[in-house]
Amino acid sequence: MIDVERTDFVSVIVRDLERAKTFYGETLGIQPNTKAHASYPEFETGNLTISLRAEADHFTPSRTAIALRVPDVDAARTKLESVGVAFAGETFDTGVCHVAFFGDPDGNALMLHNRYALVGG
Amino acid sequence: MRWSGADVQIEKTDFVAIPSQDAERAAAFYGETLGLRSDEHSQYEFWAGDICLGIWEPAKMGMEFQPSKNGHVAFHVPDVAAAREELEGKGVTFNGETFDTGVCHMALFEDPDGNDLMLHNRYAPYSGDSAA
Repeated sequence: MIDVERTDFVSVIVRDLERAKTFYGETLGIQPNTKAHASYPEFETGNLTISLRAEADHFTPSRTAIALRVPDVDAARTKLESVGVAFAGETFDTGVCHVAFFGDPDGNALMLHNRYALVGG
Repeated sequence: MRWSGADVQIEKTDFVAIPSQDAERAAAFYGETLGLRSDEHSQYEFWAGDICLGIWEPAKMGMEFQPSKNGHVAFHVPDVAAAREELEGKGVTFNGETFDTGVCHMALFEDPDGNDLMLHNRYAPYSGDSAA
């Protein structure tokens, strides 16, 4: 059995690095790693590092959606929509959580997520 | 540094959603082939350190499945070459040779749905401004 010790990062490929840096760092307000290499900017969500790199050719958007926890999905969605972020469909209430699908400027999959039910309850 | 923008108060990553066309097959891959710890409450959730991977079937929510050829989840292993050899022995498909970036080893592979993943080990210290 291989020994997966942890998740080091999720690598998200974008077409325009500056646009993506503005989105993750300013629009979403995720803390940048100031020690990251300029060509591979990193954003720290607390437990997960999002590692960006640019690739213009053969680009396909990520379908590996990163579920970002916010205290209030509706409020966060409203704020993001007010600055032009496009969401896909309505916000779901799954019975245990609220989830809203959106994308970064290159269409890489993200979610706003908040679980309101107790885990295992 | 004060965060600007929309101020949506992102607190953490709750999970990373792995799209699948066959959740049972995917669960066997993440749980048995990769040996990730299964969540005590869900047979389709697996943990790699602090990160929960949640397998879901987009078709069951009326959405189109497409494999993720981006968004590589980087699994930290102590020895990329050894882990790659073991996974290849179990029939796992790797894409290209293992990279040595100068600070880390990376080997790109796929899950049974064709989603991109990565074995990763950084051997250089984290001082200065080097990449992950």
